[in-house]
Amino acid sequence: MSLRSQILQASFPLIKQHGFTRDALSRAVLSLPEPRTEPLPEPAVSALFGEGDTARRVLIDAWLDEGRARMRTGEGTTVAEALKGRLRYNEPVLGYLSEAFALLASPRSGIPPLDVRPAILHAGGVADEACYAAGIDTIGPSWYTKRATLAAIYTAAELHQIGSPGTADEFLDSLLDSASSLRGVCSDSQLFAMYVVKSWASLIKSSGAFL
Amino acid sequence: MQASSRILRAAVKRTRPLGARQNHSRPQDPSSSTSTTHFGFRTVPEESKESLVRGVFDSVASSYDVMNDAMSLGVHRLWKDNFISLLRPGSKGPIRVIDVAGGTGDIALRVLDFAREKYADRETSVDVVDINGEMLKEGHRRFKKTMYHDTPQVAFQEANAQAMPEDRFPSNTYDLYTIAFGIRNVTSIKDALKEAHRVLKPGGTFACLEFNKVTNPVLGQIYDQYSFSVIPLLGTILAGDRESYQYLVESIRRFPSQPEFARLISEAGFATGGNFEGDGGAWRDLWGGIACIHMGVKV
Repeated sequence: MSLRSQILQASFPLIKQHGFTRDALSRAVLSLPEPRTEPLPEPAVSALFGEGDTARRVLIDAWLDEGRARMRTGEGTTVAEALKGRLRYNEPVLGYLSEAFALLASPRSGIPPLDVRPAILHAGGVADEACYAAGIDTIGPSWYTKRATLAAIYTAAELHQIGSPGTADEFLDSLLDSASSLRGVCSDSQLFAMYVVKSWASLIKSSGAFL
Repeated sequence: MQASSRILRAAVKRTRPLGARQNHSRPQDPSSSTSTTHFGFRTVPEESKESLVRGVFDSVASSYDVMNDAMSLGVHRLWKDNFISLLRPGSKGPIRVIDVAGGTGDIALRVLDFAREKYADRETSVDVVDINGEMLKEGHRRFKKTMYHDTPQVAFQEANAQAMPEDRFPSNTYDLYTIAFGIRNVTSIKDALKEAHRVLKPGGTFACLEFNKVTNPVLGQIYDQYSFSVIPLLGTILAGDRESYQYLVESIRRFPSQPEFARLISEAGFATGGNFEGDGGAWRDLWGGIACIHMGVKV
């Protein structure tokens, strides 16, 4: 593992105290396997991770990657358990999470005014890992619909968690249940529609209208 | 081998008493080595490179600034300003800087001016190091025209980038190590990087500005045409010396690419940015990669 990656890894436990800040990166060298005696100076943080908020973005991205990587160790679980495990990962840094997401959504150049791509990639990545952990191996359009549904559910649960951490699990369960019911309703509706179409086709055919 | 001997003789023949600039290379080993290195596009014995490159710089020393202007169309001044702006010396208080292969003092002057003008810092100091005493004299002469002359803010030291004496350059001393358009002329880049790592304090930054590989193919074609057709011609016109300018162009092409040089920096023990170009990456291209800034941190 490169020194840069080691510093990033060492900075994760410091986030709950220092937030997603350059300070957390700077102090990470104090807890490396071969610890240093002084935090990294500011120019060194810039040289390794970028100027200003770029370094903070690097830390947030690395932390999100780590969260997804930890989901991979939980194979053989259900989707609900995988997503709840990911919510657990958020808990120590909940106080800093909304600011982190706001930073990711802030465009670097001012255009567009709100950049939603990082949020989509984050939710999509979590949904994909949850499907993998639960052994869901759908193909075709259902591959996309399954992941899109789970991404939307996880995003809603994560936003709920920031406001009400105590009820996040129940909220996630209710969303998963609703999605399951909705999927059943959609499936029934599709079947009923097919029945209606076929019935009308038979009626028209038997009426001799086209003879 | 015949070709290299011919060049060696030509280099010796061209030697001038003034303005001599030597290559930063390891001290001559009496026991001859069979290992080879590159001299432009040619492969030469390692022990020959120092004298060959010395010949080139002897030839161009008197018009060194003109040479840089000719090779970069004057843009090297913007690149150097950019280099210093990126490093922001003095922004977090006074620092100790070592500028290697910086004989003429243009980087040192920029460092001190930046710290003074931007941050009212008159305590930051620069040790200018060059293997060539004549180049150091040139730098010293330039500094006499400035407010920094005869102050603790600047010192000129003659030393080899690959083997700086421990007594004059103790380990863990400097906050910032700069080398601009110098590292491609050393015989062993690895040794120079190792020395840089030694003299820097933990947390210190290594910063290198050097000509590099153009990444855009269209710009690359134009740049190649300019390099191999116009620059040697300029050498003939400005210094009456085509071969030396040809070498300088070739030495740029032989210099490792951006990712390769980043890897060398990492292997020397530095932490580097991500393996990509740009903010937070291990290198930053200037003008599409014609020049490039590499940085590393001694953790």
